Amino acid sequence: MLRELLYKIKNLHWTLILTVIFLSLVGLIMIFSASHSDGMQSTYSQILKLLLAISIMFFVALIDINTWQKYSFILYFFGIILLLYATFYGYIGKGARRWIDLGVFNLQPSEIMKIFLIMALAKFFDERKLETLKDYLFLIIPIILILIPFVIILNQPDLGTGLVLLLLGLIIFFIVGINIKFFLFTIFFGLCLSPFIWDSLHQYQKQRLLTFFNPYKDPLGTGYHIIQSEIAIGSGGFLGKGWLKGTQSHLDFLPEKKTDFIFSMLGEEFGFVGTLSIVGLFLVICFTGYLISNSIEKNFFSKILGISLISNFFIAGSLNMAMVMGLTPVVGIPLPLVSYGGSSLVMYFFGFGLLLSIDLTHKINKEKNLTNIPFF
Amino acid sequence: MLNKQIEEFRKFQKRTLILGIGKSLFSLLIVSKLYYLQILNKSKFGKLSETNRIKIRILYPERGIITDNNGKKLAENRIDYQITILKEDKQYLKQTLQGLGKIITFSKNEVDLLEKNLKKRSLDDFVIVKRNLTWSELEIFEYYSHNFPYFSINKQKVRDYKNSQAFSHVIGYVGFSPKKKDSKLNELKIGKSGVEEKYNTILQGKEGIQKVESNSSGKVISLLDAKRSIPGKNLDTYLDKEIQEFCFNVLDGRSGSSVVIDNETGGVVSLVSSPSFDINEFSYGINNRKWNLLKNNEMKPLLNKSIAGLYSPGSTFKLIVALLALKDKNFQPSLKFFCNGHLSLGNHKFHCWKRKGHGFVDLNEAIYKSCDCYFYNLANQINMNDLSKFANLFTIGEKTGIDLPNEQQGIMPNEDWKIKKKGENWHLGETYNAVIGQGFTLSTPLQIAVMTSRIATGKLIIPSILKVKQEFETLPINEENLNYIRDSMYKVVNKFGGTAFSSKLKTKKIFMAGKTATSQVRRISLSERETGVLENEELPYKLRDHSIFSGFAPFDNPKYSIAIVLEHHGSGSKYAAPMARDILDFALS
Repeated sequence: MLRELLYKIKNLHWTLILTVIFLSLVGLIMIFSASHSDGMQSTYSQILKLLLAISIMFFVALIDINTWQKYSFILYFFGIILLLYATFYGYIGKGARRWIDLGVFNLQPSEIMKIFLIMALAKFFDERKLETLKDYLFLIIPIILILIPFVIILNQPDLGTGLVLLLLGLIIFFIVGINIKFFLFTIFFGLCLSPFIWDSLHQYQKQRLLTFFNPYKDPLGTGYHIIQSEIAIGSGGFLGKGWLKGTQSHLDFLPEKKTDFIFSMLGEEFGFVGTLSIVGLFLVICFTGYLISNSIEKNFFSKILGISLISNFFIAGSLNMAMVMGLTPVVGIPLPLVSYGGSSLVMYFFGFGLLLSIDLTHKINKEKNLTNIPFF
Repeated sequence: MLNKQIEEFRKFQKRTLILGIGKSLFSLLIVSKLYYLQILNKSKFGKLSETNRIKIRILYPERGIITDNNGKKLAENRIDYQITILKEDKQYLKQTLQGLGKIITFSKNEVDLLEKNLKKRSLDDFVIVKRNLTWSELEIFEYYSHNFPYFSINKQKVRDYKNSQAFSHVIGYVGFSPKKKDSKLNELKIGKSGVEEKYNTILQGKEGIQKVESNSSGKVISLLDAKRSIPGKNLDTYLDKEIQEFCFNVLDGRSGSSVVIDNETGGVVSLVSSPSFDINEFSYGINNRKWNLLKNNEMKPLLNKSIAGLYSPGSTFKLIVALLALKDKNFQPSLKFFCNGHLSLGNHKFHCWKRKGHGFVDLNEAIYKSCDCYFYNLANQINMNDLSKFANLFTIGEKTGIDLPNEQQGIMPNEDWKIKKKGENWHLGETYNAVIGQGFTLSTPLQIAVMTSRIATGKLIIPSILKVKQEFETLPINEENLNYIRDSMYKVVNKFGGTAFSSKLKTKKIFMAGKTATSQVRRISLSERETGVLENEELPYKLRDHSIFSGFAPFDNPKYSIAIVLEHHGSGSKYAAPMARDILDFALS
């Protein structure tokens, strides 16, 4: 038993583990910089959350991926219940009802939902074999699987997470090979619906979208954040101003510098070298994930899950960076592994745990097959 | 089958590849934007971040000045010298504050407010450490200023009321906005009551922004460009400073109110509610102890009694009843009715205020002697719904439309009202009460004044504080009837036997017309009638009658209308009427 465990641990994908932990440590360093003037509380709390997240990752990794596949739908429903609970009884922060107060930290079920949705969709597409995919009616179930959490999250209201969820759903549809016509139809349908969606947006959300198109129109209002964020990144230059020395961030020009705008702060203090390294780390992690998924030959669930998990990671990361540089509207997505916050950290590690589990299960199976080959 | 699976996997592979290419392109976009920001535009953004040391100071707009009818200032602004600190320097605050405390004293309130403001997210990069610096404090600070590099002096125009008591209710006061929306403007004060609230959008103006350059340690080095604040517009009112102050002094802290209306323009010349409170104190931020004292004061100094105090109009209401009676062609005002002091309805006795009775009286006498029995008799022919509708013509039971917030409309009961509110049918006995202005009817002093003004002018006067030209429609009432009532009102004051005969104007050749009222707060019981009605002075304060007078002058060309209500003060002829005389004497001199 112990030997088996040691064997498993030895065979984990340590490159992925170390890169991911390294990125989180960078996050810790930035959180310290963002919050040390108010005391060490945030940093300590994030360290604890990180330790918890890493343990969860190992726990998830050591369980066979087939077991996870078995429980995917149950986890999905569990996620929906949490989400509904947060929406009706949750704790309100920043104008949205999205947290469940657990005493030690606040749980954000929308973060959890993203991973569980991916698992449920992967299981669904794995078990209904691809040949049936031509039948459009069959798509109703996965569409509903996506829309339920999407609508709940949108009502919290949390536009950012909601959009990521939708995008993620589309990506999964894309990779499992659904006909391109479906996507064209979705885009057309979306365009027709857009006036109604616009009407249903909250005032501040409309404002943000408008500001995105012209941040300098209202430099002291909503556009202020984007401008200040661009200044922060730009003024970092090639090498940055040095750790703890960013004037933009420390003089409170940057909003939410611990969470959504932590990348701007990094850009200011560590310059182009720093931001490029972060982008590089993201790409390394994504590429590793891609390789893992690509090396699987038979298990379709693992393949879909792998690609979707790294897509989730990539979408959140790139959208956050694009957002703080004014490439997309500010919709409130934290930078994975780097931003302050427990729920998203734990859930990304949960996702990496699944990736590790895919890799490990695959490796073990391969070896079993090898040893099973009879000697002639 | 196997072939098919291989094909599917190939498709999957192809799609993931496309996805990967998409992601790579997006990453490329991010990297190029980073390159654009951090390499190509480093100097531009570097400079911008330098100039971010350029701090923003919000220039709060100067509120518009409120003036009276003669251009005298009622509310203006004074310069407030303040010590401020840059928000980013707040870590130095504690140590420097100790030093500063040695030369300038801080109250606990000020320290609390400072701590609260430091936590707020505001557009302003400066936080006020100390307001209302005196000249000597300012001098000392300037002298030692090198010891306090993080502090700077700021000038802000703040509200200043010339007379902080007499105008409290009508002008109102300003205070910090509790609304979240404006939280970016920490120091913005908005009108909280009275004219300040009603015309806040006109008075407020728009804030400006001043850019201040500071060095790396946060000390202010120089002032850069500024977008000036736009001061609020000035406001001219019909109020008359002298008359208002005179009225306030005449009331002399008694609980009550007085209203003077200019009959020609509809302008409110004076609107006093007494006792009052200090609006300057309110505008700086009043402390809790004083606030509680005011709030719990039995005389309700915070309430604007002239528009929100509700009283039975009492005998002043008889004027309306008389006008309604005169409308009937068959009604003969000269027909006499015998008053023996009471009138019975069923087994209930309705009393006249004069216990022995007035003897034979016609309508004219019934008004100037204020005979209740005559009106009880009239009540038999009056339909309550008609009366209620007719009274609305004189704003009783309806808002007068004055341009002040929180005006009360009072109550003018009718049959439907009774069913709706009390779930009972209307009784004739209640009409008896209604015709002498008692019972359910409630009105504000302003309504009584407007009623008088409408009778005096025959026009649908609408009171206005703001100086605007108004055209008024004519009352749908026969001028002859109005003259009959005016004549009776003249006799109230100027004919021997009139209830306010002792209150003739002292100014020669100018006559006042009016109507007294003593509005009962309690029911006088039968047993008390027998043992003798208690004199007002013997009663507990809360049960004493309200003393009311309304009138206009000069009689032949009525310039002003007036209404005075003194809470729990006794009879109208004894207290309110002489005050009205003094005020109109003063106003017409």
